[in-house]
Amino acid sequence: MVSAIFIIAVGLGTAFLLGLVKSDQKGFAFTLTVAALAVMTWIAYDWTVALSRGTVEPATILTAGTQPPFAINLHIGLAEAWLLTVINATGLLAAFYMRAALCRLGKGAMSVLLVMVMALSGLVLTRDVFNLFVFFELIVIATGGLVLLSEDARAVAAGFKYLVVSQIVSILLLIGIIFTYHANGSLNIDDIAAVPFGLQGASLAMFLVLMALVLELKPFPANGWALDIYESAHPGFSAIFSAASGTAALFAADKLVAAAGPAWLPLMTVIGLFTFLGSNVLALKQDNDRRLLGYSSVAQIGLVFAIVGQRDILGEGYLFVAGGVLITHAVAKAGLYWISGLVPGRGLADWAILRANPVLVFAFASFVAMLVGLPPFPGFYAKWDLMHALAGSGRFWIMALILAGALVEAGYMFRFFGYAIKRETQERFPGFAVDKVAVVVAALAAGWALGFVWGGISLNPNLLTLVPVLFALLFIVLEPLPAWVKNIIAIVGLVGWFWFRMGNYDPLQMIFAAVMLVGGAVILIASFYEHGRRIGFYVPTMLMYAGLALLIEAQTSFDFFAAWEVLTIGSYFLILRGRMGEPHALSYILFSLGGAFLILAGFALASTGVQPFELKSGLSAIAEASVPAAPWVFALLAVGFMTKTASIGLHIWLPGAHAEAETDVSPMVSGILLKAGLYGLFLLVMTMGRQKIGSIDLTEVLVWIGAISALLGGVMAIFQEDAKRLLAYSSISQLGYAVFGLALMNHVGWLLALMFVINHYIYKSMLFLAVGGVYKRTGTKLMYKMGGLITLMPFTFVSVLIGIIAMSGVPPLSGFGGRWLFYNAIMASDLRLPMVLIFISGPIGFLYLFRLIHTIFFGQLKDEHRKLKEAPVWLVIPQMMFVLALLAFAVLPGMALQKVDAYIGTFFGDQPLVWSGRAITSTYGYWSPVAVMVVIGVIFVAVLLLLMSMGLNAQKVKQFNIVFSAERPFKPQTTHFAWNFFAPYRKAVGFLVMPLVTTFWGAVTDTLHSTADFTRRLYTGNGQTYAVQVLVFVVAVYLIVLGGAQ
Amino acid sequence: MLPQIAMATGFVLILMGLYGALTHRNILRMIVGFTIADTGVNVVLVSVGYLPGRTAPILDSAVPVADAATRIIDPVPQALVLTAIVIGLGVTALMLAYAYRLFRARHSLDISNFTELKW
Amino acid sequence: MTFQWIQIPYALLTLFIILNYGMLMTALIQKIGARVGGRYGIPIWQNYIDLLKNIALRSKISHGVMFYLGPVFRLTGGIGLILFVPTIYGSVMHQNFSFAGDLILALYFVFFGTLGMALGAAESGHPHSAIGVSRGLSQVTAAELPLALGVFAISLQYQTLNITDIVAAQQGSIFNWTLFTNPLATVAAMFAFVGTMMRAPFDVVLAPQEIPIGPPTEYHSSYLALMQTNRVLYPIAKTVIYMNLFFGGATSWPEFFVKIFAIYMVSVFIGVVYPRFRVEQSIQFFLKWGLPVGVLAILMV
Repeated sequence: MVSAIFIIAVGLGTAFLLGLVKSDQKGFAFTLTVAALAVMTWIAYDWTVALSRGTVEPATILTAGTQPPFAINLHIGLAEAWLLTVINATGLLAAFYMRAALCRLGKGAMSVLLVMVMALSGLVLTRDVFNLFVFFELIVIATGGLVLLSEDARAVAAGFKYLVVSQIVSILLLIGIIFTYHANGSLNIDDIAAVPFGLQGASLAMFLVLMALVLELKPFPANGWALDIYESAHPGFSAIFSAASGTAALFAADKLVAAAGPAWLPLMTVIGLFTFLGSNVLALKQDNDRRLLGYSSVAQIGLVFAIVGQRDILGEGYLFVAGGVLITHAVAKAGLYWISGLVPGRGLADWAILRANPVLVFAFASFVAMLVGLPPFPGFYAKWDLMHALAGSGRFWIMALILAGALVEAGYMFRFFGYAIKRETQERFPGFAVDKVAVVVAALAAGWALGFVWGGISLNPNLLTLVPVLFALLFIVLEPLPAWVKNIIAIVGLVGWFWFRMGNYDPLQMIFAAVMLVGGAVILIASFYEHGRRIGFYVPTMLMYAGLALLIEAQTSFDFFAAWEVLTIGSYFLILRGRMGEPHALSYILFSLGGAFLILAGFALASTGVQPFELKSGLSAIAEASVPAAPWVFALLAVGFMTKTASIGLHIWLPGAHAEAETDVSPMVSGILLKAGLYGLFLLVMTMGRQKIGSIDLTEVLVWIGAISALLGGVMAIFQEDAKRLLAYSSISQLGYAVFGLALMNHVGWLLALMFVINHYIYKSMLFLAVGGVYKRTGTKLMYKMGGLITLMPFTFVSVLIGIIAMSGVPPLSGFGGRWLFYNAIMASDLRLPMVLIFISGPIGFLYLFRLIHTIFFGQLKDEHRKLKEAPVWLVIPQMMFVLALLAFAVLPGMALQKVDAYIGTFFGDQPLVWSGRAITSTYGYWSPVAVMVVIGVIFVAVLLLLMSMGLNAQKVKQFNIVFSAERPFKPQTTHFAWNFFAPYRKAVGFLVMPLVTTFWGAVTDTLHSTADFTRRLYTGNGQTYAVQVLVFVVAVYLIVLGGAQ
Repeated sequence: MLPQIAMATGFVLILMGLYGALTHRNILRMIVGFTIADTGVNVVLVSVGYLPGRTAPILDSAVPVADAATRIIDPVPQALVLTAIVIGLGVTALMLAYAYRLFRARHSLDISNFTELKW
Repeated sequence: MTFQWIQIPYALLTLFIILNYGMLMTALIQKIGARVGGRYGIPIWQNYIDLLKNIALRSKISHGVMFYLGPVFRLTGGIGLILFVPTIYGSVMHQNFSFAGDLILALYFVFFGTLGMALGAAESGHPHSAIGVSRGLSQVTAAELPLALGVFAISLQYQTLNITDIVAAQQGSIFNWTLFTNPLATVAAMFAFVGTMMRAPFDVVLAPQEIPIGPPTEYHSSYLALMQTNRVLYPIAKTVIYMNLFFGGATSWPEFFVKIFAIYMVSVFIGVVYPRFRVEQSIQFFLKWGLPVGVLAILMV
């Protein structure tokens, strides 16, 4: 092993050596610089690998041949090695990235870069407080130099502001150090004794040192100077400033905090959380990409600092958690700054130019996912462990604040990403420099590799070794293939996985798996209509299905949560693909992540921090033991799941997301994705049963929520002019029924919910495909612009016809089965009032369904549609399959339900339904689907024959062969009664569709934004103001400590 | 008594320097303010290491190695001060260089004129 | 109970009786209305004449397949509704095809004809048809609500969804009728009854003045014949349900005729007394008056 001190020696030596190089030999100087950085990186990496494998022991390096404290000593352990690798690799890549700028400014700039990286490494390695100060000052000077690499003239002012603040910091640091020395008689960190939390004697000295280090971490709100640097510096340097400087400073602070003792941890937590939340909120209003990333950087460092404050409870997992967040952040932020250097404009929407290169889009997406803590990146595992540790020691407020901050961060990062994918930019495409792209790709590779490594270290399964996830990621490689090839692979994969796993499913899982996987494959048949390569479609699609496949089989809470996140990510990217999908995808991901965080909190709470937590037995156990937390677990999980079922209050993402999605995506996200939430709710009520908070039975609350969703979803659907929106709102209503049935907590109710799982999948997929086909042909989703398409699109018409009969619950199709079960379920329940809402919503279904079929297929054909053809055949095929499935399910519901019925019986110990032959008898009534179908069929045919017997001489007439308003009409537009179809209904019950929920969530986001806009004016841009803020910050914390110590 | 006076003087210098740096808008005056504060820090550093009645930490014939520990004052703060002075010099030089570039850019040394970056 | 072939002629017999009874009864009611108004009125066999005339008409046009099927759906709905409900309690002959499903089947099958008819009418492209459908659907959703609640209340009361069982529970004395054992549910259901019989004040759907006869606007000749047939069958089919659920059912045809006539007359009386509601007014009426009664009914059970 090469001693780690050579990192410093090589850096410093080469920096001096560069002085000897002639100033016109820029190429040589650059080569030398890069070579030095490469050697430094290699040394660090070598140590990392060796230490991780355990082939070497952590080492202490003595200098001047003397033991500490009489000489400085360095220490390299696992954490140091990892961080050194991050710092040096960032430096190396940044050097490549900044080649042009470095060569322009010459060897001086290069040696400053080397000094910077060297000093950052020193900061990590040293165990001497004063040495810490020296490295700090070196970093200050080097930063001051490197800021000037920027071509932005404003950078000079930013650098000066930085120096001003640094002066104050160094004054605090020096005074703190000397008094710490005075108290301990040593400058060695390992000799510093833990001091009580307070402001007397040694504690005051420690306070000053800590404050100086904290100020280097850019705490909110004393961090205007850092943001100015982020905004104006060369992006290559900003990457170092964020990834390497932040990391090193944090580690330095961590060393001191460890020395100061556990009494100081709460202060660190408070500062960290305050920074995390404050910066994230302020970032909401940023419109400059680099400044936005700067805010995010500051926030993330704050988060890690808050984690540092939790080191007392994290125990052995401390490095895993803190390191996971820190290193992910470093990689992601460096990568994002490097991307920002490729983008010519500084507006957020200017990143749209990245679309010229799918690799960069993928990189952007990956980096955003890393920052937000999504799988499969280290932040995800870290977040999971952190939340469990926090829950295990009852630090619920910290949990809540961290999750809230993370949600805000997800908000602006995904909004940013949405801009890049959807907006147009005025900037001209400059062509991307290959070497710079290569640097970004290196960061990208590093991020994924880290994900793999962290997954491997984690106690939980490594997500990057799970077959479904790998299968989905395989499509990244397959992207160059034509869409139809990928489609076949995808279908085979889905069906194959189902086939392969079928034996392991219990009847309930079987139903969900059949709907999600086989059902998914059927919908994918429709995707054959797309030509070309369809870049960016299959990866998210298959990720979503991978998540669903894993969700069904989840054994532990981790499995479940990871699957949930995977399917959320996949579906987000899918929804974002829709033409006008940007705002809807954003609200989808925010609700989903908010829900996911609640689920995470719920699981953490349930497990009391002990992993692994068996999902079914674990939840049952806490329910049986009536742990005080049990009802809260139930509530958190239920609300989390209901973000996916889009129950009322959490539904506002759904209409847009489903309506704006692509033709074959709408059925996926409606017919299939929503069922994930139902599956979760199923698990929840099966394992935990009835839970009470106070005297309120939570399942009764669910009954109400389900009923209100069913009603309001339906009422809102009535008033839609957009066909897909109508269907989307109807999904809210349908899922409301399912939630309602589930929450009734009786046998038939659960069966009802399952029936809705199957039925809703079939008819909603069918209708979305049908309407999608119509949209393909007519180019509009507005129903009043259509009309009279029945003869032009007969197959589509048939599927809509069957679909609406089934959905409305009219016998003989399968929807009636749902209604019949519904009555049997409510008869067995003690509840009365919520049923009223369901009774109201039932017939409302007729209104919107009739409107759907009437305004599209009946009435007057428009002139511009006279030559339309039937929908593409690939869209029609799955629809016809659905028609057959509906008919089959209508006649033989027992096929799917009988086994599940028996399975549910094992939970309730009853068997209210008797399946005899083709008839079903319940406690209260009976139903014979075959008889119903036959009777109706026979009567229908008989009457039809009767009509035909009265003469077959009906003359087919043309479109306008009617008389209306005393004339024979000739304009379809004025004759097609379609717009505002249910005007009287609006007059009567319009008050029900006041957008209260939308207004509520709008007010929440508006408040956050205006707070951000107001607060960010703190950062006046004046260096002196910043300096004052720094001092005020110190004084404020001083006062807090004073208060806290007493 | 002497170390207390020195330390008090040091802190007064720090406060004076900071006051100056934060109230004067002229960049050069700010730099001067920080230099004063730096000096104050150095005085504080030295005063912490001072022990009454002892001699300078120079090991020669007057102070044999054997009883050095009881006769000299603490040498570490003095060493620190030397380093701090050097670093302070470096930073001051860098700030002056910045001041020059700022002046060249806008022909002004008023810190409140450089606020394009904000919010 | 399972299917036997003999049930088919039995069911046809039920149908035959009800059809003729419906023809005569609706004509009779017309005639009573005329006499009250001081006119002579139609002959009692007028419905037969109309039906035969419509069947015999030779000219006939079609706007398309669904248009053609609309009346078929409509009449299937009417006949099916009769046949899914037992007509005469205790009679083997007139249990019809009630083995196929219980009360819920009947309640939902009500919509079969409505929906099919609406689809057919819609294809005619005549705005009046569409307007009529829009009005009709809007109104019916609100009007059916008290019935649904009333039905829920009595099925809770009798703990069954089996119509025959419900009728059986009301036998013995007139005071065993739901009308007396659960008056709230009965009142709630009667809101729906009056609301869906296409009589004033809830007949704006077919509003003869503003929109010539609503959904059936374009229908004529043999289509109209089917719909006329349904017009006499369907109200009776619905009244049978009310009779079975709330008024003790019928154990013989004479009892059946009397009860149906009496129940039917409720909507007639109200119709001649009150002027017509606009659609939003009737919706609000049902929400304001029908709904609370229904809610009370299910809370009181």
